[in-house]
Amino acid sequence: MNSARFLTAVSTLAFLAGCAGLQHGQVQSDRLAECPSQTADMLVAEQSQLGPLSDTHTLACALNVLRGTQDPAISRTALGSRICLHLAEREASQEKREKLAAEGVRFAETALAQGGNGAVHYYLAANLGLAVREHITLAVENLGRLEREMKQALALTPGIDDGGPLRLLGALYLKAPAWPSGIGDIDKALELLEKAAREHPGHPLNHLFYAQALWEDGEEDALNQAKSEFALGERLLVEGNWGYNKEPWKKEFDKFRQELEEAGSGVSPAIVSKS
Amino acid sequence: MMRKIYLIIASLLISLAVRATPNPEMIVVCYPGGSVNVNDASGAMNSMLRVVERVGQWQENSFNSLFTTKSAECRKLIAEKNPKFAITSLGLYLELRNQHNLVPVIQPKIKGRTSERYRVMVQKGKYKSLDELKGLALGGTALEEPLFIGRIVFAGKYDPAGFFVLKPSNQAIRALRSLDKGELDAVILNEQQFNALGALHLQTPLEAVFTSEEIPLMGVVANSATTTEEERARFSKALEEMCSDAEGKKLCDMFGVEAFTRVDADVFEPMVKLWDEGK
Repeated sequence: MNSARFLTAVSTLAFLAGCAGLQHGQVQSDRLAECPSQTADMLVAEQSQLGPLSDTHTLACALNVLRGTQDPAISRTALGSRICLHLAEREASQEKREKLAAEGVRFAETALAQGGNGAVHYYLAANLGLAVREHITLAVENLGRLEREMKQALALTPGIDDGGPLRLLGALYLKAPAWPSGIGDIDKALELLEKAAREHPGHPLNHLFYAQALWEDGEEDALNQAKSEFALGERLLVEGNWGYNKEPWKKEFDKFRQELEEAGSGVSPAIVSKS
Repeated sequence: MMRKIYLIIASLLISLAVRATPNPEMIVVCYPGGSVNVNDASGAMNSMLRVVERVGQWQENSFNSLFTTKSAECRKLIAEKNPKFAITSLGLYLELRNQHNLVPVIQPKIKGRTSERYRVMVQKGKYKSLDELKGLALGGTALEEPLFIGRIVFAGKYDPAGFFVLKPSNQAIRALRSLDKGELDAVILNEQQFNALGALHLQTPLEAVFTSEEIPLMGVVANSATTTEEERARFSKALEEMCSDAEGKKLCDMFGVEAFTRVDADVFEPMVKLWDEGK
Protein backbone atom coordinates (compact mmCIF):
# COMPACT_ATOMS: atom_id res chain seq x y z
CA MET A 1 0.00 0.00 0.00
CA ASN A 2 1.06 3.56 -0.38
CA SER A 3 1.89 4.64 3.11
CA ALA A 4 3.64 7.67 1.74
CA ARG A 5 0.39 9.37 1.01
CA PHE A 6 -0.73 8.59 4.47
CA LEU A 7 2.43 10.10 5.86
CA THR A 8 1.75 13.29 4.03
CA ALA A 9 -1.75 13.23 5.35
CA VAL A 10 -0.68 12.85 8.91
CA SER A 11 2.00 15.47 8.62
CA THR A 12 -0.59 18.04 7.84
CA LEU A 13 -3.29 16.97 10.21
CA ALA A 14 -2.95 19.95 12.44
CA PHE A 15 -2.75 22.56 9.80
CA LEU A 16 -4.60 21.92 6.61
CA ALA A 17 -7.96 23.48 6.32
CA GLY A 18 -11.37 22.67 5.05
CA CYS A 19 -14.35 21.07 6.70
CA ALA A 20 -16.37 18.18 5.41
CA GLY A 21 -17.49 14.71 6.34
CA LEU A 22 -16.20 11.60 4.62
CA GLN A 23 -17.14 11.59 0.97
CA HIS A 24 -20.32 9.78 0.01
CA GLY A 25 -21.04 8.03 -3.25
CA GLN A 26 -18.97 5.82 -5.47
CA VAL A 27 -16.49 6.38 -8.24
CA GLN A 28 -17.80 4.63 -11.33
CA SER A 29 -15.54 3.29 -14.01
CA ASP A 30 -16.76 3.97 -17.54
CA ARG A 31 -15.39 0.65 -18.77
CA LEU A 32 -17.35 -1.75 -16.61
CA ALA A 33 -18.96 -3.27 -19.71
CA GLU A 34 -15.51 -4.52 -20.65
CA CYS A 35 -15.01 -6.37 -17.37
CA PRO A 36 -14.58 -10.13 -17.50
CA SER A 37 -17.28 -12.30 -16.03
CA GLN A 38 -16.26 -13.03 -12.46
CA THR A 39 -17.77 -13.67 -9.06
CA ALA A 40 -16.84 -12.49 -5.61
CA ASP A 41 -15.76 -16.03 -4.73
CA MET A 42 -13.39 -16.02 -7.67
CA LEU A 43 -11.94 -12.71 -6.56
CA VAL A 44 -11.38 -13.88 -3.01
CA ALA A 45 -9.70 -17.02 -4.27
CA GLU A 46 -7.33 -14.93 -6.36
CA GLN A 47 -7.06 -11.90 -4.10
CA SER A 48 -3.31 -12.15 -3.71
CA GLN A 49 -3.03 -11.16 -7.37
CA LEU A 50 -4.89 -7.90 -6.82
CA GLY A 51 -2.43 -5.28 -5.69
CA PRO A 52 -0.08 -2.51 -6.71
CA LEU A 53 0.90 -4.37 -9.85
CA SER A 54 -2.70 -4.74 -11.05
CA ASP A 55 -3.90 -2.37 -13.74
CA THR A 56 -6.60 0.08 -12.76
CA HIS A 57 -9.26 -1.51 -14.96
CA THR A 58 -8.78 -4.88 -13.28
CA LEU A 59 -9.14 -3.34 -9.84
CA ALA A 60 -12.21 -1.33 -10.90
CA CYS A 61 -13.85 -4.51 -12.20
CA ALA A 62 -13.09 -6.32 -8.96
CA LEU A 63 -14.48 -3.46 -6.92
CA ASN A 64 -17.66 -3.48 -8.96
CA VAL A 65 -18.19 -7.16 -8.21
CA LEU A 66 -17.57 -6.68 -4.50
CA ARG A 67 -20.01 -3.78 -4.35
CA GLY A 68 -22.76 -6.14 -5.36
CA THR A 69 -22.05 -9.01 -3.00
CA GLN A 70 -24.05 -9.65 0.15
CA ASP A 71 -22.20 -12.81 1.13
CA PRO A 72 -20.96 -12.38 4.71
CA ALA A 73 -18.02 -14.66 4.04
CA ILE A 74 -16.87 -12.19 1.41
CA SER A 75 -17.94 -9.03 3.20
CA ARG A 76 -15.90 -9.80 6.30
CA THR A 77 -12.64 -9.88 4.36
CA ALA A 78 -10.36 -6.90 3.83
CA LEU A 79 -10.45 -7.29 0.07
CA GLY A 80 -12.93 -4.51 -0.72
CA SER A 81 -11.15 -2.06 1.51
CA ARG A 82 -7.77 -3.03 0.10
CA ILE A 83 -8.89 -2.60 -3.51
CA CYS A 84 -10.35 0.81 -2.70
CA LEU A 85 -7.03 1.81 -1.20
CA HIS A 86 -5.05 0.71 -4.24
CA LEU A 87 -7.38 2.65 -6.50
CA ALA A 88 -7.41 5.70 -4.25
CA GLU A 89 -3.63 5.85 -4.04
CA ARG A 90 -3.26 6.09 -7.79
CA GLU A 91 -6.17 8.50 -8.30
CA ALA A 92 -5.10 12.03 -9.18
CA SER A 93 -8.46 13.70 -8.55
CA GLN A 94 -8.86 14.63 -4.90
CA GLU A 95 -12.62 14.17 -5.01
CA LYS A 96 -12.42 10.72 -6.55
CA ARG A 97 -9.54 9.74 -4.27
CA GLU A 98 -11.51 10.68 -1.20
CA LYS A 99 -14.62 8.89 -2.46
CA LEU A 100 -12.63 5.73 -3.03
CA ALA A 101 -10.93 5.95 0.34
CA ALA A 102 -14.23 6.65 2.09
CA GLU A 103 -15.72 3.63 0.36
CA GLY A 104 -12.73 1.66 1.61
CA VAL A 105 -13.61 2.77 5.13
CA ARG A 106 -17.20 1.65 4.64
CA PHE A 107 -16.09 -1.74 3.30
CA ALA A 108 -13.91 -2.13 6.39
CA GLU A 109 -16.67 -1.07 8.76
CA THR A 110 -18.96 -3.66 7.22
CA ALA A 111 -16.23 -6.26 7.50
CA LEU A 112 -15.60 -5.48 11.15
CA ALA A 113 -19.30 -5.71 11.91
CA GLN A 114 -19.14 -9.26 10.58
CA GLY A 115 -16.04 -10.26 12.46
CA GLY A 116 -13.27 -8.88 10.24
CA ASN A 117 -9.66 -9.47 11.19
CA GLY A 118 -6.54 -7.37 11.75
CA ALA A 119 -6.11 -6.74 8.05
CA VAL A 120 -9.46 -5.00 8.03
CA HIS A 121 -8.32 -2.68 10.82
CA TYR A 122 -5.18 -1.96 8.84
CA TYR A 123 -6.93 -1.04 5.62
CA LEU A 124 -9.55 0.92 7.49
CA ALA A 125 -6.84 3.08 9.01
CA ALA A 126 -5.00 3.51 5.74
CA ASN A 127 -8.16 4.49 3.87
CA LEU A 128 -9.27 6.79 6.67
CA GLY A 129 -5.94 8.59 6.54
CA LEU A 130 -6.38 9.19 2.83
CA ALA A 131 -9.99 10.25 3.20
CA VAL A 132 -9.41 12.95 5.81
CA ARG A 133 -6.02 14.34 4.97
CA GLU A 134 -7.21 17.51 3.30
CA HIS A 135 -9.74 18.40 5.98
CA ILE A 136 -8.37 19.69 9.23
CA THR A 137 -11.40 19.34 11.45
CA LEU A 138 -12.17 15.90 10.18
CA ALA A 139 -8.55 14.86 10.48
CA VAL A 140 -8.24 15.96 14.07
CA GLU A 141 -11.57 14.38 14.91
CA ASN A 142 -10.27 11.09 13.55
CA LEU A 143 -6.78 11.08 15.10
CA GLY A 144 -7.93 8.89 17.99
CA ARG A 145 -9.69 6.49 15.67
CA LEU A 146 -6.66 6.25 13.43
CA GLU A 147 -4.49 5.39 16.41
CA ARG A 148 -6.95 2.79 17.70
CA GLU A 149 -7.32 1.08 14.35
CA MET A 150 -3.58 0.98 13.81
CA LYS A 151 -3.02 -0.44 17.27
CA GLN A 152 -5.61 -3.13 16.58
CA ALA A 153 -3.92 -3.96 13.31
CA LEU A 154 -0.55 -4.08 15.03
CA ALA A 155 -1.85 -6.40 17.71
CA LEU A 156 -3.63 -8.74 15.30
CA THR A 157 -1.59 -8.70 12.09
CA PRO A 158 1.74 -6.97 12.66
CA GLY A 159 3.36 -8.46 9.59
CA ILE A 160 0.79 -7.46 7.00
CA ASP A 161 2.11 -5.39 4.09
CA ASP A 162 5.73 -5.79 5.22
CA GLY A 163 5.13 -4.37 8.67
CA GLY A 164 2.44 -1.94 7.55
CA PRO A 165 0.89 -1.44 11.01
CA LEU A 166 4.31 -0.68 12.51
CA ARG A 167 5.03 1.69 9.65
CA LEU A 168 1.72 3.54 9.79
CA LEU A 169 1.53 3.84 13.55
CA GLY A 170 5.15 4.93 13.67
CA ALA A 171 4.46 7.54 11.02
CA LEU A 172 1.41 8.72 12.92
CA TYR A 173 3.46 9.29 16.07
CA LEU A 174 6.19 10.93 14.03
CA LYS A 175 4.00 13.42 12.23
CA ALA A 176 1.05 14.09 14.51
CA PRO A 177 1.21 17.17 16.74
CA ALA A 178 3.39 16.32 19.72
CA TRP A 179 2.46 16.25 23.39
CA PRO A 180 0.89 18.20 24.94
CA SER A 181 -0.99 19.33 21.82
CA GLY A 182 -1.49 15.89 20.31
CA ILE A 183 -0.52 12.23 20.19
CA GLY A 184 2.79 12.80 18.40
CA ASP A 185 5.67 11.08 20.19
CA ILE A 186 9.15 10.82 18.72
CA ASP A 187 10.21 8.07 21.12
CA LYS A 188 7.31 5.85 20.14
CA ALA A 189 7.90 6.66 16.48
CA LEU A 190 11.54 5.66 16.69
CA GLU A 191 10.73 2.42 18.46
CA LEU A 192 8.07 1.36 15.95
CA LEU A 193 9.90 2.44 12.84
CA GLU A 194 13.18 0.89 13.92
CA LYS A 195 11.29 -2.35 14.43
CA ALA A 196 9.62 -2.05 11.03
CA ALA A 197 12.96 -1.51 9.31
CA ARG A 198 14.63 -4.34 11.24
CA GLU A 199 11.88 -6.93 10.96
CA HIS A 200 10.73 -6.04 7.45
CA PRO A 201 13.88 -4.80 5.73
CA GLY A 202 12.60 -5.34 2.19
CA HIS A 203 10.10 -2.48 2.16
CA PRO A 204 11.50 0.90 1.02
CA LEU A 205 9.16 2.97 3.15
CA ASN A 206 10.18 1.22 6.35
CA HIS A 207 13.66 2.64 5.82
CA LEU A 208 12.46 6.03 4.62
CA PHE A 209 10.18 6.55 7.60
CA TYR A 210 12.83 5.35 10.03
CA ALA A 211 15.28 7.75 8.40
CA GLN A 212 12.77 10.56 8.84
CA ALA A 213 12.31 9.70 12.50
CA LEU A 214 16.07 9.64 13.08
CA TRP A 215 16.34 12.97 11.30
CA GLU A 216 13.55 14.51 13.33
CA ASP A 217 15.16 13.23 16.49
CA GLY A 218 18.13 15.36 15.61
CA GLU A 219 20.66 13.51 17.75
CA GLU A 220 24.11 13.89 16.25
CA ASP A 221 24.93 10.19 16.21
CA ALA A 222 21.61 9.38 14.53
CA LEU A 223 22.10 11.57 11.48
CA ASN A 224 24.54 9.25 9.75
CA GLN A 225 22.21 6.38 10.44
CA ALA A 226 19.35 8.40 8.95
CA LYS A 227 21.34 8.88 5.77
CA SER A 228 22.21 5.22 5.48
CA GLU A 229 18.59 4.17 6.10
CA PHE A 230 17.51 6.62 3.41
CA ALA A 231 20.06 5.21 0.98
CA LEU A 232 19.00 1.65 1.69
CA GLY A 233 15.33 2.48 1.21
CA GLU A 234 16.00 4.28 -2.03
CA ARG A 235 18.02 1.39 -3.36
CA LEU A 236 15.15 -0.98 -2.58
CA LEU A 237 12.77 1.35 -4.38
CA VAL A 238 14.94 1.63 -7.48
CA GLU A 239 15.65 -2.07 -7.73
CA GLY A 240 12.25 -3.46 -6.77
CA ASN A 241 9.07 -3.93 -8.77
CA TRP A 242 6.61 -1.80 -6.83
CA GLY A 243 4.09 -1.26 -9.60
CA TYR A 244 1.84 1.76 -9.25
CA ASN A 245 3.32 2.52 -5.84
CA LYS A 246 6.72 3.33 -7.24
CA GLU A 247 5.96 6.82 -8.48
CA PRO A 248 4.32 8.22 -5.34
CA TRP A 249 6.95 6.62 -3.15
CA LYS A 250 9.68 8.13 -5.26
CA LYS A 251 8.15 11.55 -4.66
CA GLU A 252 8.36 10.96 -0.93
CA PHE A 253 12.00 9.95 -1.22
CA ASP A 254 12.72 13.00 -3.37
CA LYS A 255 11.05 15.29 -0.88
CA PHE A 256 13.04 13.96 2.03
CA ARG A 257 16.29 14.04 0.07
CA GLN A 258 15.63 17.69 -0.66
CA GLU A 259 15.15 18.28 3.04
CA LEU A 260 18.44 16.57 3.78
CA GLU A 261 20.20 18.58 1.11
CA GLU A 262 18.75 21.86 2.30
CA ALA A 263 20.02 21.04 5.75
CA GLY A 264 23.46 20.48 4.26
CA SER A 265 23.64 16.89 5.30
CA GLY A 266 25.49 15.83 2.18
CA VAL A 267 23.47 12.99 0.75
CA SER A 268 25.63 10.88 -1.49
CA PRO A 269 25.50 11.98 -5.17
CA ALA A 270 25.50 8.32 -6.16
CA ILE A 271 22.28 7.86 -4.29
CA VAL A 272 20.80 11.02 -5.69
CA SER A 273 21.56 10.02 -9.25
CA LYS A 274 19.83 6.70 -8.83
CA SER A 275 16.49 8.29 -8.40
CA MET B 1 3.37 29.50 23.91
CA MET B 2 2.69 26.37 22.01
CA ARG B 3 3.20 25.98 18.35
CA LYS B 4 -0.45 25.73 17.44
CA ILE B 5 -1.11 29.13 18.79
CA TYR B 6 1.64 30.51 16.62
CA LEU B 7 0.35 28.70 13.60
CA ILE B 8 -3.22 29.73 13.95
CA ILE B 9 -2.33 33.33 14.59
CA ALA B 10 -0.09 33.33 11.58
CA SER B 11 -2.85 32.05 9.40
CA LEU B 12 -5.29 34.52 10.81
CA LEU B 13 -3.08 37.43 9.95
CA ILE B 14 -3.94 36.90 6.38
CA SER B 15 -7.56 37.70 6.90
CA LEU B 16 -6.59 41.19 7.93
CA ALA B 17 -4.24 42.03 5.21
CA VAL B 18 -4.64 44.31 2.30
CA ARG B 19 -5.99 43.10 -1.00
CA ALA B 20 -3.82 41.28 -3.47
CA THR B 21 -0.38 42.66 -3.89
CA PRO B 22 2.11 41.81 -6.61
CA ASN B 23 4.48 40.38 -4.03
CA PRO B 24 3.13 38.36 -1.15
CA GLU B 25 3.48 39.97 2.25
CA MET B 26 5.89 37.86 4.28
CA ILE B 27 4.99 36.84 7.79
CA VAL B 28 7.84 35.55 9.92
CA VAL B 29 6.82 32.91 12.44
CA CYS B 30 9.29 32.02 15.17
CA TYR B 31 8.75 29.12 17.54
CA PRO B 32 11.94 28.65 19.56
CA GLY B 33 12.35 25.13 20.90
CA GLY B 34 9.41 23.79 18.94
CA SER B 35 9.38 20.20 17.81
CA VAL B 36 7.55 20.87 14.59
CA ASN B 37 9.24 19.97 11.32
CA VAL B 38 9.95 23.24 9.57
CA ASN B 39 9.06 21.95 6.13
CA ASP B 40 5.81 20.47 7.36
CA ALA B 41 4.96 23.65 9.22
CA SER B 42 5.81 25.95 6.35
CA GLY B 43 3.84 23.93 3.86
CA ALA B 44 0.93 23.62 6.18
CA MET B 45 1.00 27.28 7.09
CA ASN B 46 0.81 28.20 3.46
CA SER B 47 -2.04 25.78 2.89
CA MET B 48 -3.93 27.35 5.72
CA LEU B 49 -3.22 30.82 4.43
CA ARG B 50 -4.91 29.90 1.20
CA VAL B 51 -8.04 28.90 3.04
CA VAL B 52 -8.10 32.08 5.07
CA GLU B 53 -7.60 34.09 1.91
CA ARG B 54 -10.59 32.35 0.38
CA VAL B 55 -12.75 32.83 3.42
CA GLY B 56 -11.76 36.47 3.71
CA GLN B 57 -12.18 37.05 -0.03
CA TRP B 58 -8.61 38.14 -0.51
CA GLN B 59 -6.78 37.17 -3.61
CA GLU B 60 -5.02 33.87 -3.36
CA ASN B 61 -1.31 34.03 -2.55
CA SER B 62 -1.46 37.53 -1.14
CA PHE B 63 0.62 36.29 1.76
CA ASN B 64 3.39 33.93 2.53
CA SER B 65 5.08 32.74 5.67
CA LEU B 66 8.53 31.82 6.88
CA PHE B 67 8.75 29.49 9.83
CA THR B 68 11.61 28.65 12.14
CA THR B 69 12.16 26.92 15.46
CA LYS B 70 15.61 28.44 15.96
CA SER B 71 16.11 31.73 17.74
CA ALA B 72 19.16 32.60 15.66
CA GLU B 73 17.30 31.94 12.45
CA CYS B 74 14.42 34.08 13.65
CA ARG B 75 16.72 37.03 14.31
CA LYS B 76 18.18 36.61 10.83
CA LEU B 77 14.79 36.36 9.13
CA ILE B 78 13.40 39.41 10.85
CA ALA B 79 16.52 41.38 9.99
CA GLU B 80 16.48 40.29 6.36
CA LYS B 81 12.77 40.34 5.64
CA ASN B 82 11.83 43.24 7.87
CA PRO B 83 8.25 41.94 8.10
CA LYS B 84 5.39 44.21 8.97
CA PHE B 85 3.99 41.54 11.24
CA ALA B 86 5.54 38.58 12.97
CA ILE B 87 4.75 35.92 15.48
CA THR B 88 7.44 35.54 18.07
CA SER B 89 8.00 34.23 21.54
CA LEU B 90 7.95 36.76 24.35
CA GLY B 91 11.71 36.37 24.69
CA LEU B 92 12.37 37.20 21.07
CA TYR B 93 10.00 40.13 21.20
CA LEU B 94 11.82 41.56 24.22
CA GLU B 95 15.19 41.02 22.60
CA LEU B 96 14.28 42.47 19.21
CA ARG B 97 11.75 45.13 20.13
CA ASN B 98 14.07 48.11 20.02
CA GLN B 99 16.05 46.99 17.01
CA HIS B 100 12.95 46.39 14.89
CA ASN B 101 10.43 48.72 16.53
CA LEU B 102 8.24 45.83 17.55
CA VAL B 103 4.97 46.39 19.35
CA PRO B 104 2.57 43.68 20.56
CA VAL B 105 -0.71 43.73 18.65
CA ILE B 106 -2.84 40.81 19.75
CA GLN B 107 -2.82 38.09 22.39
CA PRO B 108 -4.56 34.71 22.49
CA LYS B 109 -6.94 34.03 25.35
CA ILE B 110 -6.90 30.49 26.67
CA LYS B 111 -9.13 29.27 29.46
CA GLY B 112 -10.04 32.84 30.20
CA ARG B 113 -6.44 33.95 30.60
CA THR B 114 -3.97 35.90 28.51
CA SER B 115 -1.05 34.96 30.73
CA GLU B 116 0.66 31.82 31.98
CA ARG B 117 3.08 30.62 34.62
CA TYR B 118 6.19 28.53 34.19
CA ARG B 119 7.07 25.81 36.68
CA VAL B 120 10.20 23.86 37.53
CA MET B 121 9.18 20.27 38.19
CA VAL B 122 11.09 17.64 40.16
CA GLN B 123 10.38 14.16 41.45
CA LYS B 124 8.14 14.56 44.45
CA GLY B 125 10.04 14.87 47.71
CA LYS B 126 13.47 14.85 46.10
CA TYR B 127 14.15 18.59 46.27
CA LYS B 128 12.48 21.31 48.28
CA SER B 129 13.58 24.45 46.51
CA LEU B 130 15.20 25.80 43.40
CA ASP B 131 18.37 26.47 45.36
CA GLU B 132 18.85 22.75 45.92
CA LEU B 133 19.09 22.31 42.16
CA LYS B 134 22.33 24.28 41.85
CA GLY B 135 24.69 22.45 39.53
CA LEU B 136 22.08 19.84 38.58
CA ALA B 137 20.53 18.97 35.23
CA LEU B 138 17.53 21.03 34.09
CA GLY B 139 15.67 20.07 30.92
CA GLY B 140 12.77 21.45 28.92
CA THR B 141 11.76 23.02 25.65
CA ALA B 142 11.82 26.54 27.09
CA LEU B 143 15.59 26.33 27.46
CA GLU B 144 15.99 27.27 23.81
CA GLU B 145 15.72 30.78 25.24
CA PRO B 146 17.89 30.82 28.38
CA LEU B 147 17.94 34.62 28.59
CA PHE B 148 14.17 34.69 28.71
CA ILE B 149 14.13 32.04 31.42
CA GLY B 150 16.70 33.91 33.49
CA ARG B 151 15.39 37.44 33.12
CA ILE B 152 11.63 36.87 32.93
CA VAL B 153 10.72 33.46 34.33
CA PHE B 154 13.23 33.65 37.18
CA ALA B 155 12.88 37.44 37.30
CA GLY B 156 16.64 37.86 37.22
CA LYS B 157 17.23 35.84 40.38
CA TYR B 158 18.90 32.90 38.69
CA ASP B 159 21.12 32.71 35.64
CA PRO B 160 20.11 29.35 34.13
CA ALA B 161 23.36 28.77 32.29
CA GLY B 162 25.43 29.39 35.39
CA PHE B 163 23.16 27.85 37.97
CA PHE B 164 22.05 24.63 36.28
CA VAL B 165 23.50 22.19 33.82
CA LEU B 166 21.12 22.93 30.94
CA LYS B 167 19.72 20.08 28.87
CA PRO B 168 17.54 21.74 26.24
CA SER B 169 15.11 19.58 24.31
CA ASN B 170 12.61 20.09 21.55
CA GLN B 171 10.42 17.34 22.99
CA ALA B 172 8.82 18.10 26.33
CA ILE B 173 7.61 14.54 26.69
CA ARG B 174 11.12 13.19 26.34
CA ALA B 175 12.44 15.57 28.98
CA LEU B 176 9.71 14.44 31.35
CA ARG B 177 10.49 10.78 30.73
CA SER B 178 14.11 11.54 31.55
CA LEU B 179 12.99 13.22 34.74
CA ASP B 180 10.80 10.22 35.53
CA LYS B 181 13.80 7.91 35.15
CA GLY B 182 16.06 10.16 37.15
CA GLU B 183 18.23 11.08 34.17
CA LEU B 184 17.30 14.73 34.67
CA ASP B 185 16.93 16.44 38.03
CA ALA B 186 14.31 18.96 36.94
CA VAL B 187 12.25 20.06 33.94
CA ILE B 188 10.84 23.50 33.27
CA LEU B 189 7.31 23.54 31.86
CA ASN B 190 5.01 26.15 30.46
CA GLU B 191 1.36 26.30 31.46
CA GLN B 192 0.07 24.08 28.69
CA GLN B 193 2.65 21.41 29.41
CA PHE B 194 1.98 21.57 33.13
CA ASN B 195 -1.77 21.22 32.65
CA ALA B 196 -1.30 18.15 30.45
CA LEU B 197 0.92 16.26 32.90
CA GLY B 198 -1.94 14.14 34.18
CA ALA B 199 -2.34 12.38 30.86
CA LEU B 200 1.25 11.15 30.82
CA HIS B 201 0.99 8.48 33.51
CA LEU B 202 4.55 8.86 34.72
CA GLN B 203 5.91 6.35 37.21
CA THR B 204 7.07 8.96 39.70
CA PRO B 205 4.85 11.75 41.01
CA LEU B 206 6.16 15.21 40.24
CA GLU B 207 5.87 18.49 42.06
CA ALA B 208 6.79 22.09 41.37
CA VAL B 209 9.67 23.61 43.31
CA PHE B 210 9.29 26.89 41.50
CA THR B 211 6.31 28.72 40.01
CA SER B 212 6.81 31.95 38.12
CA GLU B 213 4.74 35.07 38.30
CA GLU B 214 2.10 35.57 35.62
CA ILE B 215 3.76 36.06 32.24
CA PRO B 216 1.71 37.40 29.32
CA LEU B 217 1.03 35.11 26.38
CA MET B 218 2.65 36.37 23.22
CA GLY B 219 0.83 36.66 19.94
CA VAL B 220 1.37 38.97 17.02
CA VAL B 221 3.85 41.80 16.96
CA ALA B 222 4.06 44.59 14.41
CA ASN B 223 6.87 46.81 13.25
CA SER B 224 5.62 50.23 14.33
CA ALA B 225 7.90 51.96 11.85
CA THR B 226 6.57 50.16 8.79
CA THR B 227 2.92 49.80 9.79
CA THR B 228 0.42 52.53 10.46
CA GLU B 229 -1.84 52.74 13.45
CA GLU B 230 -4.70 51.99 11.09
CA GLU B 231 -3.06 48.84 9.79
CA ARG B 232 -2.40 47.57 13.28
CA ALA B 233 -5.95 48.35 14.31
CA ARG B 234 -7.23 46.52 11.27
CA PHE B 235 -5.18 43.50 12.22
CA SER B 236 -6.47 43.58 15.72
CA LYS B 237 -10.08 43.92 14.70
CA ALA B 238 -10.00 41.04 12.27
CA LEU B 239 -8.27 38.78 14.74
CA GLU B 240 -10.71 39.71 17.46
CA GLU B 241 -13.56 38.67 15.19
CA MET B 242 -11.91 35.49 14.04
CA CYS B 243 -13.15 33.16 16.74
CA SER B 244 -16.74 34.27 16.27
CA ASP B 245 -16.62 33.55 12.54
CA ALA B 246 -18.25 30.20 11.70
CA GLU B 247 -15.19 28.54 10.20
CA GLY B 248 -12.76 30.52 12.31
CA LYS B 249 -14.48 29.27 15.43
CA LYS B 250 -13.82 25.68 14.47
CA LEU B 251 -10.16 26.46 14.15
CA CYS B 252 -10.10 28.37 17.42
CA ASP B 253 -11.90 25.53 19.19
CA MET B 254 -9.51 23.01 17.81
CA PHE B 255 -6.53 24.89 19.12
CA GLY B 256 -8.10 25.67 22.44
CA VAL B 257 -8.13 29.40 21.86
CA GLU B 258 -11.25 31.13 23.08
CA ALA B 259 -10.51 34.45 21.51
CA PHE B 260 -7.87 36.90 20.42
CA THR B 261 -7.77 40.10 22.36
CA ARG B 262 -6.22 43.44 21.64
CA VAL B 263 -3.07 44.01 23.61
CA ASP B 264 -2.99 46.26 26.61
CA ALA B 265 0.51 47.69 26.30
CA ASP B 266 0.75 48.06 30.08
CA VAL B 267 0.76 44.28 30.41
CA PHE B 268 4.14 44.06 28.74
CA GLU B 269 5.78 46.94 30.57
CA PRO B 270 6.87 44.84 33.59
CA MET B 271 8.38 42.32 31.18
CA VAL B 272 10.29 45.04 29.38
CA LYS B 273 11.53 46.34 32.72
CA LEU B 274 12.69 42.90 33.85
CA TRP B 275 14.39 42.30 30.54
CA ASP B 276 16.23 45.60 30.61
CA GLU B 277 17.31 45.08 34.21
CA GLY B 278 18.88 41.79 33.23
CA LYS B 279 21.11 43.30 30.59
